[in-house]
Amino acid sequence: MVRFIALVVIVLASAGGASAGAPAGGLAELVAEGERWWKSSPDPQDPVACSTCDPAETRGWAASFPKYRPLPPPEDRVMTLLQANAEAVQRHYRLPDAERPALAITAYLTSHGAGTPISPGIVAGQPVFEGRLRALAESVARGERLYARWCRSCHDAGAVTPAALLFPAAGNGQVESLERFLGRHRPELPRLGSDGQPSTDVIAFLMSRLAGRPVSVAPFSVAP
Amino acid sequence: MIHTVLSIFLALWLAALALPLGANAATVITGIVRTQSGQPLAGLALLEKGEIHNNRWDRGTLVDTAGRFRIELGEGGQYGLHVYSSGYIYKPNAVRVETGKTLEVEVVLVPEPTRANDPVIKRVEFGSSETGKGKVMIVKMEVSDPNGILGPQVLAFNAATGRAFAMAPPRWVRSLKSNYPDGVYQLDADISQSPSDPRDWHFVVADHKCNTTDILSFPHKPQPPRVIH
Repeated sequence: MVRFIALVVIVLASAGGASAGAPAGGLAELVAEGERWWKSSPDPQDPVACSTCDPAETRGWAASFPKYRPLPPPEDRVMTLLQANAEAVQRHYRLPDAERPALAITAYLTSHGAGTPISPGIVAGQPVFEGRLRALAESVARGERLYARWCRSCHDAGAVTPAALLFPAAGNGQVESLERFLGRHRPELPRLGSDGQPSTDVIAFLMSRLAGRPVSVAPFSVAP
Repeated sequence: MIHTVLSIFLALWLAALALPLGANAATVITGIVRTQSGQPLAGLALLEKGEIHNNRWDRGTLVDTAGRFRIELGEGGQYGLHVYSSGYIYKPNAVRVETGKTLEVEVVLVPEPTRANDPVIKRVEFGSSETGKGKVMIVKMEVSDPNGILGPQVLAFNAATGRAFAMAPPRWVRSLKSNYPDGVYQLDADISQSPSDPRDWHFVVADHKCNTTDILSFPHKPQPPRVIH
């Protein structure tokens, strides 16, 4: 319990000092920004937005990550919600820097899915594919090994895991993704792109331990 | 008495018929395609075998004007179902169908808000050639994309055989995620067993952002695309 509270303090303090995190305004504004990115394209010449093709129920999406994304090979892999959003934003909106809109959309979808039980790899009402679950299980296993090598000497997994639910984390006018936090904390963990797999794996390991707990965007609503 | 005997006989006969039917039941994907307001849409339903977006095209069918389609499969498993209708953004769906069962799906398509970003099919030509393996029909299709983001979905569908094909790009492409080149795409279709009629062929192209051409059917004369309101 004490270690968890200490970690929360570290997370929030770190988020406040993150110069590259989302700028001032906090989580509520980021969620609103994410909704705008979701519902409208930044290019008036190409008005297809995320919601154009995915107008249906998105409440279970945040809870289903990390999961295998069936992109055309060789890009198919397990991704976090932020990474999947960054890939989609880059491809569809053609923005040079996808991280900010991806973080905003992540905050929006996470907010939209608040309360749904975490179920990595599975979306309620959609078919389950063994190959995708196998890829996720391999990612979790790699993440566990990485955690043992880089993290466990300082952070017991049982104590630290719930902190993953604090992200995107707001503090001192900054909002930061778990991927960015891990990348700053351990530079061996790039956050985006095809070289972001180690951080995906660590997050997949952490989230696998949280299955069944509710998605949350309110940091202090998480039961330690 | 006669009625009872006849009824028993009829019941046994039906049961005998039902058993082998059940044992050899078809594996089918069937569905309905409609707009958000519920209007049926005609078009194409094409399948990738295995994981969606693997570009291993397999079976397909025309979607009728009532928006209905039915594809009979050789075996159950995972498929990537792609549904196209002229003027609408195509819809990809990963599906799983059990062997011997029918999977029913409902597909809702949304109209393209503009056609300015769509790929363009400029022309289609049919020819034939003799190769060491037999006679082949050569289909050539010239394609371009205003944003230079063509993907692997440069597709040909033969309604007579129910087979869908990805056409070969004009030059080598590094991966399925790469931007495919503008130019003449080609398909060499084996017609050594049975001839092929150009009337059976339908074409559609989608780019990496899901912008989709109209479906081009016989006589394969491209028309300016319309925005659907």
